Amino acid sequence: MESVIGVDCSPAVEGTSLSPSALIWQDILAQAMTGELIAAMNYTSLAEMCDDPAEVAEALEHAQGERGHAAAFASEGRKIGVPVPNNVNARHWKRLREAFLRCIAERDFIGCLIVQEIMLESFAVASYARVGRVGPGSLGKTFAAIAAEEEEHIEHAMEILRMERATDRKAFDEKVHRLHLDVMTTLAEMLAKDCRTGHCEVCHGSCVKPSLFEVSLSAAELRGASLQQYLKSLDMLGIPGEVTLQWVAQLPV
Amino acid sequence: MGCSVACIAERGWTAPERSSAVDFALIGHQESWRAAADVLAVLRGPEHTPLPDDEVKDILPWIPPRAVCHVEVGSISGVKARGLYIDSFIPPDCLDAACMHDNLTRVRGAAAYAINSGARIVSLGGFSSILIEGNFDHLPERCDSVFTTGNSLTVAFIVQGIEKMCALQGRELRKSTLLIVGATGDVGSGCARCLATHVKRVLLSARNVERLRRLAAELEAGGVKVEIATGHEQFSAQADLVVCAASLASPSLLLGHIAPDAIVCDAGYPKNLAPCEQAPGIKIFFGGLGQITGGLKFAPDFHGILNRHPFPDVVHGCLLEGMALALDGRFEPFSQGRGFITQDRVEQIETIAAEHGIYLAPLYNADGPVEDRLSIVRDRNRSAIA
Repeated sequence: MESVIGVDCSPAVEGTSLSPSALIWQDILAQAMTGELIAAMNYTSLAEMCDDPAEVAEALEHAQGERGHAAAFASEGRKIGVPVPNNVNARHWKRLREAFLRCIAERDFIGCLIVQEIMLESFAVASYARVGRVGPGSLGKTFAAIAAEEEEHIEHAMEILRMERATDRKAFDEKVHRLHLDVMTTLAEMLAKDCRTGHCEVCHGSCVKPSLFEVSLSAAELRGASLQQYLKSLDMLGIPGEVTLQWVAQLPV
Repeated sequence: MGCSVACIAERGWTAPERSSAVDFALIGHQESWRAAADVLAVLRGPEHTPLPDDEVKDILPWIPPRAVCHVEVGSISGVKARGLYIDSFIPPDCLDAACMHDNLTRVRGAAAYAINSGARIVSLGGFSSILIEGNFDHLPERCDSVFTTGNSLTVAFIVQGIEKMCALQGRELRKSTLLIVGATGDVGSGCARCLATHVKRVLLSARNVERLRRLAAELEAGGVKVEIATGHEQFSAQADLVVCAASLASPSLLLGHIAPDAIVCDAGYPKNLAPCEQAPGIKIFFGGLGQITGGLKFAPDFHGILNRHPFPDVVHGCLLEGMALALDGRFEPFSQGRGFITQDRVEQIETIAAEHGIYLAPLYNADGPVEDRLSIVRDRNRSAIA
């Protein structure tokens, strides 16, 4: 696995003994950092697509913020003595990036917001919040703080998306469903309890999921919290609950 | 489990905006993991394989309360009412006191969803009503929606079932010794008020002795002699008519030395009686169920999934109460609180239900329909005598 985007992730203290869970945290941090870098790339692409200077500035600000989150995760790795790699070309993350780029290619600003703010951020907010509760010391605090920041992104986007839905509910809901089938199917495969389709290309060795219990987490919990957050985000958009329940029930496990 | 529900409440969960108002909402939950798996299987559709049991158990607790399907009920008068079935997604193994806080959070979430859907009347099914029958303040601010526990119609169908079973068995109610297990609950006390004056002897059992004494005093003021106990064991052998209306997380009640010819009405949801009690026999029946004869539609089609009974269009009385009131245009909190169900109110609601073609469901138990087997036994007996 090769880090394709440089974030200083060298271990701060060479030769010190690692805690028994350090390698688990390394994989968790690597997934989080990769997600943040994907988000940064997405916002940069969005900035390139936008014509309105205010929207460009906002997208670039978001991109910078996501890079800051990635740097914060790298820093947390250094504190526990592990490098935090990333791989934005890893199988699942690459597909998520491609889904976003399709919206960019169609100059679909609303589609971009749905993918990034409703789908990817729901996953980030929920999973970071769970990690934040059990992470040791500053690592846990960093995850919790970033979860709170990401949640603000969702709330901001929600206003724009609600207005968009008000103009044509049917068309809006169809768009969300189309993007759901693409993006959430990939996220559901990522969040499955076992990586049945092969190595995720982010974990440093074998899949970290079976070891999560050692740090008081579980793949089922991270998936459950993420899907719950996603359903709540869709509720806030006003999409009928019986419809979104069916969408989520049909995701792969 | 607390983790999965905590997020439902935190930061103020909001139900989707109102799209189009509905006449009624039914709030329920699944009583077993099998039932929950079947609900998810319908939602997944035939093109997706059903979820394995372990995945169902992992996923369901994280689902926020929400509508599962649309419901349309018809009256024999031609009137129709539209509604929603809202599941609180209480995990089936969390239907006990230990999970009270989490479950209340879920029921409140489901109630908020019903309000936001514009439901004019909301029926609280199963544990939803048990959880809040003592305190409706636990519900969100009600806006234009009214809430009913639906327990009056449940009592009506329990009483009708008892009467029908006695008639089928050739038994006289007035010669019976009645035992009510869970007698101080809303349904149990309602049954006591409706049946006490019609039987020879009344035995009441419940865990709370103070409530038992109050109920006994009330019945005795009406001229009925009542015996009470905090355990039902001492009464089991003496009763030939038993109503099980206890709040239990799972079917676990053992009646012990029950009279061999006793009639037993299991009115619990989940069922009260342990499976071993449900040995092949004809005297146990599931009570509190009604049947809609004016038509019942689900979209998507949840027939036989949300109403898992051997007869069509059978629904629990608690949910039917909201439907009957909606069909009648009576959007009022007909059943609220605990211990206010009287014979007069029961007669009122069964009249309203009957006017719209909602009647006592055919009797059945875990072995299937009861009435057919009773007929067979009766015919055999007649042949033997001949």
